[in-house]
Amino acid sequence: MDRLWSALAEVQDPEMPVSLVDLGVIYGVHESDGVVVVDLTFTAMGCPASEFIVDDVRERLLRESGVREVTINVVWDPPWTAARMTEAGRDALEAWGLAV
Amino acid sequence: MPGSAELEAMIKSGELIESQREMTPEYLRELKHTLIVSGDTELISAPAYYLAAKRAPSINAFMTGIAIIQDELAHAHIAYHILEELGEDQEKLIFSRDPKSFRYPYAFDVPLESWTELVVANGFYDQAGFCLLGDIHDKCSYGPWKRGLNKVMLEENFHLRNGRTWMKRISAAGGSAKDELQRAVDWMFPLSVEWFGLPDTKKMHSLQLEYRLKGLTNDQLRQWWLSQVVPYCEQIGVKVPAHKETRDGKDVYELDYPFPCVFDAESKRWDFKQPSTWDDVLVRWRARGPRNAEMVALFQEEFHNFRKTHDRES
Repeated sequence: MDRLWSALAEVQDPEMPVSLVDLGVIYGVHESDGVVVVDLTFTAMGCPASEFIVDDVRERLLRESGVREVTINVVWDPPWTAARMTEAGRDALEAWGLAV
Repeated sequence: MPGSAELEAMIKSGELIESQREMTPEYLRELKHTLIVSGDTELISAPAYYLAAKRAPSINAFMTGIAIIQDELAHAHIAYHILEELGEDQEKLIFSRDPKSFRYPYAFDVPLESWTELVVANGFYDQAGFCLLGDIHDKCSYGPWKRGLNKVMLEENFHLRNGRTWMKRISAAGGSAKDELQRAVDWMFPLSVEWFGLPDTKKMHSLQLEYRLKGLTNDQLRQWWLSQVVPYCEQIGVKVPAHKETRDGKDVYELDYPFPCVFDAESKRWDFKQPSTWDDVLVRWRARGPRNAEMVALFQEEFHNFRKTHDRES
């Protein structure tokens, strides 16, 4: 499971210089028999990059050995807030000039 | 105010210029000119993209298109805001200039009329913007602009991403969708190549380079653009009229058509059998293209209408 989280930590948000894991939008990753199920959310319902994010997550996980299928559930509960960001994510956005 | 030798030494040392007090009048004039071209280019991309984004194939795609337009307006604002600090009137620059006096690349004057053409613009024109601004971000001697571009580069990446993802998707769909993509590439590729201006052999002296407002020559920027676009198009199965050659151990991109050559903006067609001269191209650019007045009116008209009503009521 750690390797799947590490893989997702390599996926950058398409708009901001921060990984999806540090942004706190990945809620869960489960794998069973080569099928990975990801629960993720977006920072806003009207996220203009949502399609890119879903594509990137799928593409990255499919590169992991033994992964043959990826199912992505977009969830809104619990809602995303800035408090879900990691320290590293916060630092990255602050360095970029965004107050978080 | 420094003398020109003093300014030259400062620029050579790599030190950044931070205020008007440190500039010569010639440096200030060239900086303003460069900022106007940048601001006008970002500003005009908003109506150009908007008129095509309206034809987005889904709400999500439309939202992405609108987010890109919002970025472009913010980028324009950076340039105009700096111009204001340098003594220009931002409102006059945007709302009171004659459409023909706007200084943006001719490509935007040729209407983008479909979602396919919009995403090719994101893939080609935003790549051109990325190269030009990336170079300024990297090399510019004027500190406030160099720093202002930090966020711009990341946002341009997002636009490029939209262009490339959709171009790949449309190409993979095949059939008439791919034919439409190829037609868009056929007229937009040479317009983007033109974007970088006169070849170095025609432009002997550049104050922009001398003052380190930019770091790369027109041909170097053009090569950078080609090195990004040509391999990507080949990879997704789209034909482009250029190829890679190796010269003195270096990769160089060569165009497969006479540069420059004749373009008919109404039918969006290049005549590769008819070379033209750079003087002809300059005449075409100065006359502006089919959509110039319509796009400028899109943001100027309502500004003045609002003013009229507002002044009457107050």
